[in-house]
Order: sequence, then structure tokens, then C-alpha cells
Amino acid sequence: MPKEREGALSVYRVLDLADIKGTYCTKLLADQGAEVIKVERPKGGCPTRNIPPFAGDVPHIEKSLYFLYRNANKYGITLDLELPDGRNLFKKLVKTADVLVETYPPGYMESLGLHYKVLKKINPKLVMASITEFGQTGPYRDWKGSSIVHYALSTTMIGSGFTEGAPVNLPSTPSYDAASIIAAISIMVALYQRATTGVGQYCDVSVHECSRIGLYPWMVTIYSYGMTPDGPPPAPEGRLGASIYPVYPCKDGFVRVVAITPRQWEALVQVLGEPEVLRLPEWREFMYRIANAADLYALMLEFTTKYTMAELFEAGHREGVPIVPIYDVAGFVNSRHTKARKFFVKLDHPVVGKFDYPEPPYKWTETSCRISRPAPCLGEHNEKIYCQELGLSKDDLAALRQAEVI
Amino acid sequence: MSKAPLEGIRVISFGTGAVIPDFGKILGELGADVIKIESRDNLDFVRTLGPDINNIHGFNESNRSKRSFGVNLKTDKGKELVRKLIKMADIVGENFRGGVMESLGFDYENVRQIKPDIIYISSQGFGRGGPYSDYQAYGPMLAAASGLLYLWAHPEDPYPVGANVPLPDHMASKQAVFAVLAALDYRRRTGKGQFIDMSQVEVAASLIGEYYLDYSLNKRVPKAVGNRNPYAAPHNCYRCKGDDQWCAISVFTNDEWQRFCHAIGNPKWTEDPKFADTVSRLRNVDELDKLVEKWTMEHDPTEIMTTLQAAGIAAGMAQRAADTINDPQVKQTKALIEIDHPVAGKRLYPNIPFRMSNTTLSPSRPAPLLGQHTEEICRQLLRMSAKEIQRLKEEKVLDTA
Repeated sequence: MPKEREGALSVYRVLDLADIKGTYCTKLLADQGAEVIKVERPKGGCPTRNIPPFAGDVPHIEKSLYFLYRNANKYGITLDLELPDGRNLFKKLVKTADVLVETYPPGYMESLGLHYKVLKKINPKLVMASITEFGQTGPYRDWKGSSIVHYALSTTMIGSGFTEGAPVNLPSTPSYDAASIIAAISIMVALYQRATTGVGQYCDVSVHECSRIGLYPWMVTIYSYGMTPDGPPPAPEGRLGASIYPVYPCKDGFVRVVAITPRQWEALVQVLGEPEVLRLPEWREFMYRIANAADLYALMLEFTTKYTMAELFEAGHREGVPIVPIYDVAGFVNSRHTKARKFFVKLDHPVVGKFDYPEPPYKWTETSCRISRPAPCLGEHNEKIYCQELGLSKDDLAALRQAEVI
Repeated sequence: MSKAPLEGIRVISFGTGAVIPDFGKILGELGADVIKIESRDNLDFVRTLGPDINNIHGFNESNRSKRSFGVNLKTDKGKELVRKLIKMADIVGENFRGGVMESLGFDYENVRQIKPDIIYISSQGFGRGGPYSDYQAYGPMLAAASGLLYLWAHPEDPYPVGANVPLPDHMASKQAVFAVLAALDYRRRTGKGQFIDMSQVEVAASLIGEYYLDYSLNKRVPKAVGNRNPYAAPHNCYRCKGDDQWCAISVFTNDEWQRFCHAIGNPKWTEDPKFADTVSRLRNVDELDKLVEKWTMEHDPTEIMTTLQAAGIAAGMAQRAADTINDPQVKQTKALIEIDHPVAGKRLYPNIPFRMSNTTLSPSRPAPLLGQHTEEICRQLLRMSAKEIQRLKEEKVLDTA
């Protein structure tokens, strides 16, 4: 059998104390081969184990799809940090680790005596990242967050949905994922620097700040370009998704059209069989189309509904105007391109069984970047980590279990 | 003071739009020497979104802290200069349409002949190796093709429209930065470079992974739930006092519900048993949302946000840019910075969104004018004489500002 290629980060050990805010951060590291050890409280585990939906729709800590998705490739152990014995064990783990990711509210790690200042004495090479709702400083430091709250604050939500309707949320937890990716960047920077300096450092990452940067960082800059010393204030932003990137119905669903240049508009008219009403010169102007989006929509219906999503997708490519099907989840999974890229891999989980799992969003030529293991069951790797790595005996393990430390 | 983390790393960026430009910007802010390859003949399309190519907000945000090398890639001499720059580089990033780098002779196979340990990231809409590899793609299309847009709607909407933003572009740019930093770390240990083929539609897909698991395990095609949440209520974006003002509120536990009721003054309806616990509130969520909105409509969103947060409830107003500029947290943490650009003047840009205990980054530099650093790069890196530079300018091989 050929030797398994190593991952780009396979030399690193990462301790994961992350909840919803940082589970994707440690997944990014695990997908590159880092040994990520998820450290969960013995009672119930990581709070994300309770997020619905569940496999088979039965609430169960091993069946949360959110948890299963964001924790593949990781090892899982249990440990109660609120008990002195738990903290001692944790410090032993810290001694062996390169990275620690935690997402507790500001001050909590300190209250346990596990502040970065303490941990770096145990292991000066440790890189520690704290991902919190609003950061470690500032007037909102102790504020509560949630996915919809961060989305609202990001400046993107006010522009989401139909002009007259309520702003609409993004699915899943994009603000937390943005913070997770950015935290992973700061960790990589710290590891890269560590190779020269020999010491680790502390990274403070705020979901509130990362959300705007990951979703759409241009809004404030665009606004500030409209601010001139004596001029009027810039125009208010509206919910313009439907007028700028219009959506049209077709035979079997909907397509989205990105026609910005006159050339792209002409290609669109071509795709639709050059109907006379669309050849009026004013429609060639992007700004005119935005201002008259409702009229244009009424006109377009007659023509777009003659075709299927796939026909418009192909014809748009042929003629030079980006048109794309609005796929549901099944449409994406079953698309020819997704299949050709082998984006889904079969995983077999001891509790939920076999399922198709999305691979990381890139292919690497030299190092391995793939999903090889499903998310760990609660405490699945206690023996591997505590006995094989820290040298505890099976009796020690039983005693720790008895005392509810693990 | 310690040196910048990526000092000594050189990046050649064949970027257009948002993904690779934003990727280069971040590496530039971290101290890499990022050289943007561009020319008047073949402009980054974001430079064309207004009358002055040097005064475009999005361009000037995504291209901070890099140098512009104005060179015409349609000329052999221009290509030769770029090959020389690649020889001195560590990282190449590109997001032209699939096939363009091959036709220019700057695809990975060619580039590794020039620089064997190069780290080369290619960011395409759909990624290589499939029928849509050479399809032109913008962010809003990739949200649509991944299934994400389908879920970005209220259940009663006739169809999803999302927002006027190129999601997932700015997620893809960060994924790309993370990827090359991991590859750089690997190269540091082994001496080996590599090629990374990133797919932006897969970046969009990775934001909603659990929905694919739902399809695979529960044989279900998930539908949009809008602002609702299957395990929290109230959970919505509520209309507030004022013109198009909104505030998001989420209440996850019964303890939070008690505090929420107290914060809004314990109105009589909150005592109704049909709102007593999460399951009951979810069952009666339409009625609950109407009652909550009755309260929010009487208050402005900032007041709602601060009142509820003071009670330990997650709440956040739907901010516009002006609200963000005046946000006390944004101010105190210096999340926005002012940069003075030679043409655009003093404008606001987002800061690098993390703070590190031992790393001090140099101040952000304004985006370059087209060809602003052409001569500097010719002299400093390519060791060209003034005469040679002049000749290539006349031959329209080089563009200068």
C-alpha cells in the first residue's frame, strides 16, 4: 500500500476547547493533518452536540449534524476543568501542545487559573487563540452573541432579502465560521513566527469584528467614499439583491444572472432568443436595469420560463453572460461538477452509520488535505490520549472516571 | 520590536475582483512584499466600477499594502519580466477564469519550472477537474450554485434573493490565506512547495456542511427558515421605531426568557403558559413574534440592543455603515482605520481583525495607483537601467502611474 501523505500541519498538536464559535477553526487545522484533541466536559460534552437537526431526527449527543460536520478528523476526550484534578491533567496536556483554541467568555479561563500568562509558563511555545463574541476588550466585551445577532451587526443583514420585507438571516453560522477562519490565520502567523523566535503568543479574535470582514468588508469603505466634507451624506443602503443580481424563474426552478457590462447584457439577450422588447437601448445600461428591476422582471418572465436551469447555465457560458441555477442542497450534491471533483466522501460513524461528508474546499498536490475520520464520540479517545500519550494507567483512568474528572 | 511576520516573503498576485486581491491584501498587511500584476490593457474589473481607475472604494480596500507592477502580459517582453519576478517569489495567487493562466504560460506546471518550491494557489469559481472549470463566476453565483442562496430566504418568499454582496468571496480570500500559510509552514520544514486548487463554490458549501449531512442521513432537502431557529424563541429580526430600523434578538434558554421578560417590563402576555418554555414558545412562535414586535416598534434599535444586552440577552441592531462607524466597540477596538490615499484622500477601511500579543504590524499602506511601483520594481528587483525602462514604456510593455 502506498504510504499515506502527511498533512501540511501534521507536526502540530492542537487542544480544542471551542464551542460554536471555534469548532470550524480547529477543523481547518485538523483537515491539514494537525492532531486536534477536542476536550469536552464529561457531562453532555460540547454544547454544539445539542444543535438540531439530528440524524434520524432523534435528539442525541452523537447525532447532531452541526457537531458531526464541524468535528470530523478530530480526536475527542473528556475533562472537567472546574475540578482541580481536571486542571492538573489539562496542564499536562498543555505541556505537549502547540496550539490551544478556546472560546469561553472573557475572564473565564483566568478564573480557572488557566490564563495565557499561566499556560505560557508551563509551555513557552504555546500559541493560544481566544475566540469570543465581542473580543477581550471594549464596552461590549461581556455582551452576548448569536449567529443572527452578529449577522445583524455585520452591515450585511440590512441589505438582505426583498426591499419591502424584513431583513433575512443567512443559514447556519457564517459569523462564527468567519471568526474561525480568521483565528486560524492568526494561529498560522504565530506558528510561523515561532519557528524564528522560539516562543508562542496569544491571539484575541472577536466574532463581532470578523463577521463583517468575512461576509462583506466593503460596506463601511463604500460609505466613507461617499462622505465628502461639504457634500450631502451618502445615499442610504437598501435591500438590492434582487435588482442588482436578478433572479428569474425558469421551467424547473430559478436562475441568478450577473450581467454588469453591456457585453454581458447583449449575451443575455442572445441567450433568450433576442426578443424585440429586450433590445431597447436603455436596457443596455446597468444602472437603468437596477432602477427598473421590477419592470424588467415582468418582461423577462415570458422568455426565461421557456428554458430549464441547465439550458440557461450552458447557454450563458456559451454566449458570455454568467447565469447560474439556484440549486437546493440536492442540486449541488448531484451536480456533475460536484461529482467530478469528488467533493463528498463516505464516512462511517459508529452511532449514525454511513453518510456523505463534504471535503475541504481545495485540492493539494503535495500534502494530504482530506477527511479521514468522522467526528469523535464523547470521550472516544480518552484511553489513547491519557494512557498512550500521557502515560496514565488503566486504573488511573478508571479512578478519574469514578471521580467524574473525565 | 520584532519584524513583521511575513517579512522576506514575496507574493505575485494575478488577481481580479475580490478573492485574490483581498488575499494579497492580508499577506501584505502581515509584511509580505505583494506585487500585483496588472495593466491598462487588462484591468482588474473592480478598477472599472467608476470613472477613475484609481478612485474605486472596493479596489482601494482589497488592494491595500501591495505594489502595482504595470505590465502587458500580451507581450513576450512583459512575460519575461514577470518570469523574473516569479523566480524571486515564494507565493503565486491567481483567480482569472479557468484556462487563462495556461494560455499566458503562467500555470503551475510552467511556474514550477521557473521556481520549483513555489506555493501556487489558484482560486476558481467551481475549481478544476469538472465540466464547469472554465465557467466565469462571481460570488453571488456561487452562493446560488452551492445551495446556500436557496436557504437564505424567508419561508414565504417567492424565491431567494440574498443580498447585494459577493458572498462567499471574502470567506474564500481568508481560506486562501490560511491555506498558503499552512503550505508555507510545510515548505519551511521540508523545502517543498505545492499547488492548491481552491473552489469558491466549495467555500460557500463549507459554510452549510450540516445541510448536506441532513440530505445524506435524513434524505431531506432542507428548506429556508428565514430568521427563525428550531431551538430558540424569540429568534428573529424585529422591526423597530424609525425608518427601516431593525434589531435581531435571540433567546435560547428559559433563564434567558425570564430575563428578557423582565427587561421589557414584564407585560401581562409574557405570563401566558403558552410562552412558558422553549417548546411552547416555538409552538406559538407566530403569535410570540407579533407580541415582541409590538414592544420593539416602540423603541429605537440602539436602545433595544443596549437594554437587552444589559439583561444578558443577545441582541444586535441591523447596522448600516454609519452605525458601524459610530459603534463604541468598533471605535474602542480600532476595528476601522483611516488611510490617506493619494487620489481618494482619507477614507475608512477595516483593520486586520485580530490582535496578537507579540506581533506588531506596520501601518496599512494605501492601495497602489495602476503601475505606481513599476519603475521601482524594475530598478530594485529586475536591476534595469533607466534607459531600458524608458524603452519598455515606449513599447507599451510597461505601464506606469
